[in-house]
Amino acid sequence: MKVFRSHLLLCGGTGCHATGSLEVKKALLAELDKRGLSDEIKVVETGCNGFCAMGPIMVVYPEGIIYMLIKPEDIPELVEEHLIKGRLLERLLYKEPVTEEVIPTMQEIPFFAHQELRVLRNRGLIDPEKIDEYIARDGYAGMAKALTEMTPEEIVKTVLDSGLRGRGGAGFPAGLKWRFAAGSKGDVKYVLCNADEGDPGAFMDRSVLEADPHAVLEGMVIAARAIGSHYGYIYCRAEYPLAIQRLNIAIDQAKEYGLLGENILDTGFDFDLEVYQGAGAFVCGEETALMTSIEGRRGMPRPRPPFPAISGLWQKPSILNNVETLANIGQIILNGSEWYASIGTERSKGTKVFALTGDVNNVGLVEVPMGTTLGTIVYDIGGGIPKGKKFKAVQLGGPSGGMLPVEHLNAGVDYETVAELGAIMGSGGMIAMNEDMCPVDMARFFMDFCQDESCGKCTPCREGTKRMLEILTNICEGRGQEGDLDLLEDMAGIIKDSALCGLGQTAPNPVLSTIRYFRDEYEAHIKDKRCPAAVCTALFESPCQHTCPVEMDIPSYIALVQAERFEDAYKLLLRTNPFPAVCGRVCDHKCQSKCRRETLDEPIAIKFLKRFITDNASRPGVDAVPVTRKEKIAVIGAGPAGLTVARDLAIRGYKVVVFEELPEAGGMLRYGIPAYRLPRNILAGEIDDIRTLGVEIRCNTRVGRDIPFEKVNEEFDYVYLASGAHKSQRMGVEGEDMDGVFGGVEFLRDFNINEEAWLNGEKTLGSRVSVIGGGNSAIDAARCAVRLGADVTILYRRLRQDMPAAEEEIQAAEHEGIKIEYLVAPTNIAGENGKVSGITCQKMELGDFDRSGRKRPVAIEGSEFTLSVDAVIAAIGQTPDVSFVPEDSGVSINKWSCFDLADGSKSQTTDARFFAGGDAVTGPDTVIEAIAAGHQAAQDIDQTIRDKNGELPYEAPPEEKIDIPLMIEEETEERPQARMPELDALSRKNNLTEVELGFSKEEAIKEAIRCLRCDVEI
Amino acid sequence: MKAENDDLLKEFTPEQIAELDGIIERHKGEPGALIPVLEEAQMALGYLPVPVQKRVAGGLNLPLSRVYGVVTFYSFFTMTPRGKHTCRICLGTACYVRGGKKIAETLEKELGIKEGETTEDRMFTYESVRCLGACGLAPVVVMNEDVHGRLKAMKIKEMLSEYN
Amino acid sequence: MAKIKIEDLKKIKDKVKAETSLRAGERRVKVTVHMGTCGIASGAREVLDTLISEIEEAGVTDVVATTSGCMGLCSREPEITVEIMEQEPIIYEYMDTNKMRQVFRRHILNGEVQTPFVLAKGAERTK
Repeated sequence: MKVFRSHLLLCGGTGCHATGSLEVKKALLAELDKRGLSDEIKVVETGCNGFCAMGPIMVVYPEGIIYMLIKPEDIPELVEEHLIKGRLLERLLYKEPVTEEVIPTMQEIPFFAHQELRVLRNRGLIDPEKIDEYIARDGYAGMAKALTEMTPEEIVKTVLDSGLRGRGGAGFPAGLKWRFAAGSKGDVKYVLCNADEGDPGAFMDRSVLEADPHAVLEGMVIAARAIGSHYGYIYCRAEYPLAIQRLNIAIDQAKEYGLLGENILDTGFDFDLEVYQGAGAFVCGEETALMTSIEGRRGMPRPRPPFPAISGLWQKPSILNNVETLANIGQIILNGSEWYASIGTERSKGTKVFALTGDVNNVGLVEVPMGTTLGTIVYDIGGGIPKGKKFKAVQLGGPSGGMLPVEHLNAGVDYETVAELGAIMGSGGMIAMNEDMCPVDMARFFMDFCQDESCGKCTPCREGTKRMLEILTNICEGRGQEGDLDLLEDMAGIIKDSALCGLGQTAPNPVLSTIRYFRDEYEAHIKDKRCPAAVCTALFESPCQHTCPVEMDIPSYIALVQAERFEDAYKLLLRTNPFPAVCGRVCDHKCQSKCRRETLDEPIAIKFLKRFITDNASRPGVDAVPVTRKEKIAVIGAGPAGLTVARDLAIRGYKVVVFEELPEAGGMLRYGIPAYRLPRNILAGEIDDIRTLGVEIRCNTRVGRDIPFEKVNEEFDYVYLASGAHKSQRMGVEGEDMDGVFGGVEFLRDFNINEEAWLNGEKTLGSRVSVIGGGNSAIDAARCAVRLGADVTILYRRLRQDMPAAEEEIQAAEHEGIKIEYLVAPTNIAGENGKVSGITCQKMELGDFDRSGRKRPVAIEGSEFTLSVDAVIAAIGQTPDVSFVPEDSGVSINKWSCFDLADGSKSQTTDARFFAGGDAVTGPDTVIEAIAAGHQAAQDIDQTIRDKNGELPYEAPPEEKIDIPLMIEEETEERPQARMPELDALSRKNNLTEVELGFSKEEAIKEAIRCLRCDVEI
Repeated sequence: MKAENDDLLKEFTPEQIAELDGIIERHKGEPGALIPVLEEAQMALGYLPVPVQKRVAGGLNLPLSRVYGVVTFYSFFTMTPRGKHTCRICLGTACYVRGGKKIAETLEKELGIKEGETTEDRMFTYESVRCLGACGLAPVVVMNEDVHGRLKAMKIKEMLSEYN
Repeated sequence: MAKIKIEDLKKIKDKVKAETSLRAGERRVKVTVHMGTCGIASGAREVLDTLISEIEEAGVTDVVATTSGCMGLCSREPEITVEIMEQEPIIYEYMDTNKMRQVFRRHILNGEVQTPFVLAKGAERTK
């Protein structure tokens, strides 16, 4: 690709054409050519900028500088000045009209507003290489006070009373350490500063050293005075060259001023120090190992006691504090212990600096009072998770720490709380992780780190971490075994108890913490050989396929699209999914959320490509399958789960009858999803194939009403319960039963049955409609109401990013003119003569976080307001209607009115002859999950039958071989996902024409080329 | 002594050896001198093969085993010569969760070597480091002194081609 | 530089305050380039170089360029703070050499705040 150093965007709008932009362009091209710049600078004609009065307008990128009222004769000067000399041509510059542009203050930016700066109080304000600027911010004033006005005992007491705890990890009270060292006999003592910040993801010490090195020196002199030391070391890791450089400058300046060295500030006190550069060993962050390292040996820890306060560096009494701890000292002495202890929690005083990194919008250094909630740090300060992904956990304390998952967003972060939740404060590295993090892989990553950094001195750490790493690696690579988790937990306990130093004792923490919060994901790796986050690559070929509930072979069908072999692609789709044309339109496409292309630009439009195949290839023919087996299967409910079971079992030679209450098959696909998203003929085509196989679908037949449950029970050997979730949840507000109030699914069902009557006005909602809820049903209902000409408002009690509905559906709703009111909830429905006339709502504000990681809406007292409406549609959730199953049937039903599954089974109910799946088991879920449940149940039913008969397991007939071509772009260029062409918004009123028009062949092939083919190893 | 000098001369110039001796001389007698001496020696010579270690051990009056033990303990020290360019990938946690693993795989593939190795043409030495503290730019690769932040796997080839 | 005594700390403080306060003629504008590791890695040094050469080229004597440590918001580096006499400081984010040139010419010399690049105005509170 050609790289241009500048782009000149010349407005080609009508206005600018009229004022002569074409001549300007001609002159520009000629001048660039003359100057030999045509290869460096590109001229692009753009649409109207809207500044027509100032035309012709030209914008120069990358600077983004706007020139206006350009005439052809200006061009040589413009090229000369701006493009060659890099100077602005002032006289043609566009001047912004003087407006009071609102620039936020620092306090209005949440990242800064929630912080409380003590350690970082000089950040951005002083030049770290100028000691005077530090002094001007009251630097060395604390030291002066300590040296002239306080006895060593008073210094120790002040630090002790402040409640300052060591910021390096363990949180041992700093004052106590000092007191022990002060009490040790001896003329030679050492003050050591631990600047060997080795935790990956932690960089607060580096930042303090770089931005405010004198604060650390000041703290060390005070500490020296307190314990009676005259020499110190700062042990700094070699990876921080800038910090070392600035420290050395600071030390030189302090020495020149007599703030270090002999007779400091003329007080008679001597203290000198030097920087000792570490040589790259994580274990040297441990205090005794650090001392061994300064002594010039392998940095191995020593057993304690004796503690360093008695016998430390070169067997002399020593104290070791980390950078952040020491940077607090000057302020504590200057302002007093009470000032320091005035913020924080009961047992954790003051502030803590966190290095907030990973999957958050604002990465940086964060200083907050102890006890600030995790949610405030991640969401308010961190600005939440990028790309609309879900927050999963933070890792706190690096490889020695643990995870705080989404359910603990309300936890106040201090030493005690963090420890209770299974992490440690550590030095304050806080790494946010989104839904794409695999906890098993993370545990393996940290164990690999600890194993690698283990110094090898003690056996539990040296051998134990190795063995734990082996087990974790096995789990990640699909060789996990039953019992591995118990073994890991046992070994963790032993290493914690018996390792010599902190590194070993804390090494098992990440494993224990991830097992505690993500046991289900460990089990998925061990039992199902699946990695739910699609990270552990040994378990799958491509992340999209692995994430698809039915594991559609996505890379292969995309490759076939690229090769224009659409018929083969269609065959491939049908191997795993009986409803590809449906899914190409309404799937929630989890696959796309794990698409690796996203790391480059945007995920592949997998869903749309699937639809393209089904739109552009003829559907492969289906033949009836003769019934070869004696067992008869009944399926209750002709939705995607029921129809999938029926299809799979028919293929295996079973006689299957599907009972459906409604007039047509399809379940929610037919009666929940409106035709503008899923045209009826598309759905009918896929269902017809299932009938052709030999499946009998009896519509208008509700079990328990049109045919007794007992009769089904008698006539069939096995029954599959897939009755869906077709009952709306009630809002629980007054007036809910009035005329004009609909449940979401009830409205959609009525609408989808009586489309004609609704569209021609026989049935009507009236002109003003409120829809309550934020899920896909709410959006469907709202978009139907708009098509009936109503003025529609969606009322949702949380924020947009919290809506469970698909993003593209929300956008479509907005596009169609639907208003969405956030943070409101209904309290009352008013009516006249039994007919709804208004809805009273309350405004909400956001409180604590709930377990899903969303902030909980809390009603604001006295904020009620009333909307006049003709209809209210309450789409706040659905529950199954399982009343057709008699109570004494042996099929257990849980408190959510869903069928319970038997322990250890994925489809069998508590009665061995009854299986269940889809929404009737999970509550409202997606089409593809229902299809997956159907496949699973068919397999389980068939297996149960064969086991009982003593037959061998079913073997599918060999599949036709479809070879998959491999064509990969030589150079991958950034190119966003292809957009789906749509019907314009105006043409959508009063009809149910499909909105999405489908890709053209060119668009589809171009999109397919974007696939990175993660399934192939080259 | 003669044999030792010969071994050193095989790999280093007399000037370099003199520099090494100067470093040793400057730190002689200081407590804990070994690590600073080795750090400076590596800066001057590029790497610390056994002959260099012998020289240091003799100069500081330490057993060779002690010097060898320290050199092999700390990841900063290397006993093999390095490539013209050092390519260090950060595998700190922040970089790891932001796609560092994929970057590492790509680098290995592009360079054709594993972590800790040097390409045959001695152009690149490839290493991983734990955390460079540039987490704001994760994932990060450092080529010599240049930090390449917010890297994408597809851009690796392009990045490497800048170094020759 | 001579060794200082306690009372000198106060004198230095006053001296720095006097020297660094902005005033017409000598120190009308102070531009701070934030140079922590993150900032430098994202190009703060180039931004500083550009600033210095712009000052030279423009021949102005009342604009002072200085450096400082990181502002804490690493993901928006490089950041600079522009303080103009009697005005609130303006913090710019995601700077590069082109933007620096533009800010210098339009904001520092002409007084037009370049809003599209602005992170915030004012300063952080410390207690």
